[in-house]
Amino acid sequence: MISASRLSKTYPDGTEAVRAVDFEVAPGEVFGLLGPNGAGKSTTIGMLTTTIRPTGGTARLAGFDVAKEPLAARAVSSVVFQEPVVDRSLTGRRNLELHAQLWRVDRREAASRIGELAAVLGVADLLDRAVGSYSGGERRRLELARALVSRPQVLFLDEPTVGLDPRIRAELLEVIAGLRTTSELTILLTTHYLDEAEKLCNRLAIMHAGRIVALDTPAALLARLGREIVELRVPGDPADAIASLRSHGIVDGDGFAVGSTLTLPLHDRSAADAVAAIGDAGVGATSISTRRPTLDDVYLRLTGGRLAEAA
Amino acid sequence: MSALAPTVTLARRRFELTTRTPRELFVPLLTPILFAAVIAPALKVALHTGSAYEAFVATGTIGLLIPLNTMFSGLSVIVDRETGAQRELLAAPVPRGLLPLGNLAVALLVTAFQVITLIAVALARGIDFHTDAVGIAWFVAAASAFAVGMYGVAETLAARVPKAEEYIARVPAIAIVPWFLAGSLFPINALPGFLTWFAKFLPLTHGLALVRYGLLRDSSGLHNIWSMGNTTAMAALSLGVVLLFAAALTVVSIRVFTRRALR
Repeated sequence: MISASRLSKTYPDGTEAVRAVDFEVAPGEVFGLLGPNGAGKSTTIGMLTTTIRPTGGTARLAGFDVAKEPLAARAVSSVVFQEPVVDRSLTGRRNLELHAQLWRVDRREAASRIGELAAVLGVADLLDRAVGSYSGGERRRLELARALVSRPQVLFLDEPTVGLDPRIRAELLEVIAGLRTTSELTILLTTHYLDEAEKLCNRLAIMHAGRIVALDTPAALLARLGREIVELRVPGDPADAIASLRSHGIVDGDGFAVGSTLTLPLHDRSAADAVAAIGDAGVGATSISTRRPTLDDVYLRLTGGRLAEAA
Repeated sequence: MSALAPTVTLARRRFELTTRTPRELFVPLLTPILFAAVIAPALKVALHTGSAYEAFVATGTIGLLIPLNTMFSGLSVIVDRETGAQRELLAAPVPRGLLPLGNLAVALLVTAFQVITLIAVALARGIDFHTDAVGIAWFVAAASAFAVGMYGVAETLAARVPKAEEYIARVPAIAIVPWFLAGSLFPINALPGFLTWFAKFLPLTHGLALVRYGLLRDSSGLHNIWSMGNTTAMAALSLGVVLLFAAALTVVSIRVFTRRALR
């Protein structure tokens, strides 16, 4: 449903925002682009939604080349933007109707679809109020309803829950998860909330400096770090500590440090063995604990400083 | 696929947004109405001129109203981009060049309403217009084409400047300075020689000469530009200038908008 092949964007000032990324998203799949600010997620979504012209490679939505057939590509897709993108002085209903008209949805079908979506997304009582009076969560749900009015084959969600308070964020995640289970919609979402990515996405691409550095299911990404990790804080140079741990065979190349905290995947080693070995290595940890790996660890391992390699 | 339906949708949207912002309708009217209804009659008394001068200034204020209103309309493009739904429109399956055209349709409609209001106020104030059907046709053609061109200027500027503050800072230079040079308050041949020549290149000078030719059946403005004997030929030439201005700025505004929309 979505395919990107060697997709690249270099801005006129020479900034390589996206560097030859490749991925395929199957119909009905929820695919996440994960990465820090500046990783190239928004540029990638911009190229797929035809607001940024690729400088290399190709991308297709439902078979339509986004550079050569932008109108057809836009006709099969909808976007929920990171920032509020609504006509605030118009009512919620009018915002939805305008989307339906621009996407050429039959008037009668649009009216019924608006009613149906407003009920599902909990905005039915707000539809005849000006959007300027909506709360952040209400407006975001309206934008989601708007994107779905035209029954898109592909839905782009650009940081859909950013800026929302935790309760509203949880509610919205439920709604998006519901879309995943009840429709054949293909969703591409960008996020830097790892719990969100893990909860919603069938597969994740982790982007760093314009490249995809890992692409797999959340479970497979987690499995790369084994079943358990050791986290320790060290008083001195973490690079020296990592080097010492490597020389004692306690950590492979995938240990990493963020500040003074070292994270060491255990793979097949038991936690008790590892803790004892760390004590024997004389690293001088001020605290030490074990836990199950999370996507945060995968993310930091791939996008953070790779001190293990430097050591 | 017809472009008419999406253009109508975009124009209706812009119209609905405009009617919810009354300042867009009425603020540009204030200065021209002050000129037509208060300053022109006061100048007539102070300068001991006749009714003809009062009508001259009243029609000249149309040359202030059109640029002010179209520039105000351009401001709404920035608002749309910064806090409105422009990105949603850019993601819609319609050619992006239709967005400025939808806005233009509403800018023309609002300008027409304002010009009619201005003329009604001037008539109520006792200012005489001497016109006929042919004159009204010249007036409508000139005012419409000039408004289209000025909206092109506004849309182009709105696409090029990042902030509303920067846009507003440029409005006096674009909408007001040319008005003083284009024969609005006095004939252009009253200006110093080099400014007279400069004024002849301003689309507003041609527009105002045609407005007066249409509403007052006064061809002196056209003579000051062309120095020819055939009034209809001079009017046609001036209309050609204004139409060229309108066509060129419309094309430029669409190109600038679509290029800025696609980074």
